[in-house]
Amino acid sequence: MEARKMKLEKKIKTIFDIPIQEYVAPGGIFCQGCGAILAARLILKLLGERTVVVNAAGCFTLAVVYPYTVFKASWLYTAMACAPAGAQGIRDALDILIEKRKIDKNEDLNILVVTGDGAASSIGLQSTITAIHRNLDFWYLAYDNQAFMNTGAQKTETTPFGAATSTTKPTSLSPLGTEQEPLDLFSVWVSAGAPYVATVSPSYPVDFLDKVERAKEIKGPKLFHCLSGCPPGWNYEPALTIKVGRLAVESGVWALKEAVNGTIKHTYIPKKRIPVEEYLKIQGRFEHLFKPVKNKEAIEEIQRKVDKYWEYELHDAK
Amino acid sequence: MKKLMTGNEAAAWGARLAEVDYIPNFPITPQTEIIETLSKWIREGEMKAVFRTMDSEHSMLTAAGSASATGARVFTATSSQGLLYAFEMLYNLSGWRVPVVMVNVSRGLSAPITLEPDHNDILSARDSGFLQIHCETAQEILDSILVAYKISEDKRVMLPTIVNFDGFYLSFTREIVDVPKLEDVRKFLPEYKPTHTFFKASKPLAQGTPVLNSSLYSYFRYQVHRAMENALDVYKEVKEEFNKKFGRPIDEVETYMMDDAEYALLMTNSFSTKGKKAVIKMREKKINVGLIKLRLFRPFPTKELMKQTRGLKGLAIIDQNISPGKGGVIYSEVSSELYNYEEKPKVITSFIGGLGGKNISETEFEFAINYTRKVYEERTTLRVPILLFTEEDKKTSKTLIDIAHGGEKNEA
Amino acid sequence: MIKVRFHGRGGQGMKTSSRILGTAAFLSGFFVQDFPIYGAERRGAPVVAFTIISKEPILERGYIFDPNILLISDETLLLDKQTDPTKGMSKESIVFINSNKNEDYFKEKIGAKVIVEDLTKIALEVLGRPILSTLIAGVAAKLVGIEQKYLEEAVKEELEQIGANEEMIRKNILAATIGYNKVQEVKIEQTESLEPEVKVVEVEYNDPEISTPVISFVANSYLKKTGTWRVFKPIIKYQKCKSCRLCYVYCPESAIKWENNFPVIDYENCKGCLICVQECPLKAIEIVREGE
Ligand SMILES: Cc1ncc(C[n+]2csc(CCOP(=O)(O)OP(=O)(O)O)c2C)c(N)n1
Ligand code: SF4
Ligand code: SF4
Ligand code: SF4
Ligand SMILES: [Mg+2]
Repeated sequence: MEARKMKLEKKIKTIFDIPIQEYVAPGGIFCQGCGAILAARLILKLLGERTVVVNAAGCFTLAVVYPYTVFKASWLYTAMACAPAGAQGIRDALDILIEKRKIDKNEDLNILVVTGDGAASSIGLQSTITAIHRNLDFWYLAYDNQAFMNTGAQKTETTPFGAATSTTKPTSLSPLGTEQEPLDLFSVWVSAGAPYVATVSPSYPVDFLDKVERAKEIKGPKLFHCLSGCPPGWNYEPALTIKVGRLAVESGVWALKEAVNGTIKHTYIPKKRIPVEEYLKIQGRFEHLFKPVKNKEAIEEIQRKVDKYWEYELHDAK
Repeated sequence: MKKLMTGNEAAAWGARLAEVDYIPNFPITPQTEIIETLSKWIREGEMKAVFRTMDSEHSMLTAAGSASATGARVFTATSSQGLLYAFEMLYNLSGWRVPVVMVNVSRGLSAPITLEPDHNDILSARDSGFLQIHCETAQEILDSILVAYKISEDKRVMLPTIVNFDGFYLSFTREIVDVPKLEDVRKFLPEYKPTHTFFKASKPLAQGTPVLNSSLYSYFRYQVHRAMENALDVYKEVKEEFNKKFGRPIDEVETYMMDDAEYALLMTNSFSTKGKKAVIKMREKKINVGLIKLRLFRPFPTKELMKQTRGLKGLAIIDQNISPGKGGVIYSEVSSELYNYEEKPKVITSFIGGLGGKNISETEFEFAINYTRKVYEERTTLRVPILLFTEEDKKTSKTLIDIAHGGEKNEA
Repeated sequence: MIKVRFHGRGGQGMKTSSRILGTAAFLSGFFVQDFPIYGAERRGAPVVAFTIISKEPILERGYIFDPNILLISDETLLLDKQTDPTKGMSKESIVFINSNKNEDYFKEKIGAKVIVEDLTKIALEVLGRPILSTLIAGVAAKLVGIEQKYLEEAVKEELEQIGANEEMIRKNILAATIGYNKVQEVKIEQTESLEPEVKVVEVEYNDPEISTPVISFVANSYLKKTGTWRVFKPIIKYQKCKSCRLCYVYCPESAIKWENNFPVIDYENCKGCLICVQECPLKAIEIVREGE
């Protein structure tokens, strides 16, 4: 397998290795400070314009609203459940058209599916798992804003424990907001057999793009699960998008890692994890854990889970 | 070359002769033989196409649409539950203006689940923007698929088409089919070369874009309607060319013994054959009756229908579907189209029959015509719709229901 | 009948303003309709909401083309040609603008009765954030002549609905009353409906290249000039800049170009998220309020 030989040495080593070519134009219908469009802008810097972006319903759908598109690349909006199926059709069509010499092989394209976490972890999961299983050669950027944002921030399968959403509002009966733990999309992809699975953050663009660059060597499904700050949905000021992402990583809430053919490796291990509280308290969606009285138990529980994760992972790494 | 084959095989032959590039699929009875046949041909090297089994019909239709939007000629097939499962994507594909051809093998809808045909499945796709061609014979299936690509890929149309035929009665029935030569088909149906939708590196294109401006949304959706209207003219051209090349008429509205008819049955799909036989029997009894078969259902061939129903005393519409709370779908469609027409039939009656594949017997056809005559002659009030359900049907149902509830407590 | 149209930006709370006015009018015994234009609401993006108040049952739906009162949550919206907030306004219409400029500045440009107050400043003082919903609702309630007690009740009701705590409600009632007391009730001239007369035309078939919703002129969204979304403007002080590239890489909108080894902000498109300001390690990017 090609992937097995994948070189692990870094290709994007510093911020100066990030190309200054842009493939995403400004002017999209995204909130000020949207982390999702930043993630797409970054990944497309390496995939370039010879790409077709295939999208499922979500905030990202409004990246293209007739007569405007933000992309230099091609684009297809499918529906909420089926972006990977759309990718399959395009891949198969390009392959057969090239094979039959109906189009030149220079016309070939990268296929990049971009969807939110809602599509990626619920309604679109069936078409995703089967695309992985078929070893469809495509890229998948799952920008994870941890709710159905385009419809007004309702809870998804990836909404974290303790977060308030518009369908899990904290009340006296259910003071935590969201009670359930998020679905682990990374593990789902790994166990489905995807050759390359990564978690990324736009706050760590070097880590992110180095993964993209190295993953180019791999044919097959490649996931970039990106924690993407969302100012209105998480309720913080737009200027803080990068900071929120940084706190998520430095507190250990969001682990930056990759799995190459199932072998998991952390690509960044915070030297000394800051308390999760630092991450939680700057976001309005966790405000109820601090006000009117601090819900120590809940915050400690979140901290405990993070600590346990790292204890296990770091132990394993040894 | 004449061959004995099932309706499903005829469908597969249609796709093969159209030299399709791509066949996304998902199995469902009674469609399976189509995809099995195609996969075999591809595996044996008889056909060059990608055969891709998807996770569902929803994905299947998405892949069909996106491949067509990339520039491939695409064929796919489904039935009943599968068609409904893919429903969201039907509207998407017509909006993308991609010339996919899909077969629907009609089957009654769940619940209760059944396997045999009626037309609730296909008629539910009525408003989706797919053209619809309904077939009576295996020959028509093959011919319609070729015709469908030719029309769908015409610049004046650029819309997907569903070719519909009945499960079991046609899908599994073998009859003689004249398979045209590939060279002849190539002359009739040249390679697909899209100019409005494609994906290639040299010319980036954004497709399937959201349109939030309501004027523009109206414009684009209305263009689908305009394209459908064009398809009526294109159909006429194509059927003539087809008839010239292959010697088989494939009219949008087919008539049978209509020359001097005062009454007519109006039907679609495979049971039209039974209707024709009933017409002969009635003619023997000196009833001046004929049969009108709707082959093209979308776009709706209103003008042809006016021509063929002009001056009739009565038109009995046999609907193999039911819209609960309304009645027969085709009855509604035909009556509304003829309403403003001066020379419309004096009486239009509505019968529901053949649900879940239930037989329609000669006597039932005759019942329909007699009822129509009575309404015309005696000006009796019309009951709409009338279910064609016999004493025998009632008895069978009762026996089975009794078993379901414990014992043969036959009250009769 | 009084038709009120609110123009604002996602995040400023215009939908809430229109609802507070609606509820207050309802509590005062009027027939009411309120309605936000939804779908693509994005923080910073222009939004529109409406409230109609009447003594008679209301026979209206959708967009208000001929408002009696227009409330504009910040003056930069006036630059946005797509939204065109003063569209459909008549000489009798009353236009309220939130701005730190004076009335004369706008009078000529708009040609209607203009009222100007700096509500953002008050919002920052009272609420600590530039959220204008209750202030603008207060202004609107006074203009249409609603009693203060109904306004207060409505603020409470609407904010409770969106889950605000007691402290926030108290502060917002205060904000609403400040807005209320900033302006005077106005006499609304009853005008004929101005919904424009139209002509129904034929729509011909066009070739699929035109009649399919595809875009062949790619990456053209810069034409939208989302620079008008900005309330605050980032300004790079080049003498402090050490070309570290962080602002460039982190700008979500590709609104910073990298030219001659320096970042250059494209003000036609910068939405003013201020990420660049926050992330510059040398504090080389400063903020000014737009229009200053
Ligand atoms: C079949 C279907 N169900 C529901 C919707 C409504 N819908 C549109 S966007 C969206 C939220 C998508 O959430 P996510 O994938 O997380 O993306 P985000 O909006 O957060 O960007 C939903 C539920 C839809 N478009 N299609
Ligand atoms: S709601 Fe969140 S994800 Fe959606 S556009 Fe706004 S910031 Fe981006
Ligand atoms: S404020 Fe800065 S980061 Fe935000 S859009 Fe403008 S230039 Fe980009
Ligand atoms: S972040 Fe600051 S120092 Fe770095 S390039 Fe931008 S302005 Fe210059
Ligand atoms: Mg989401």
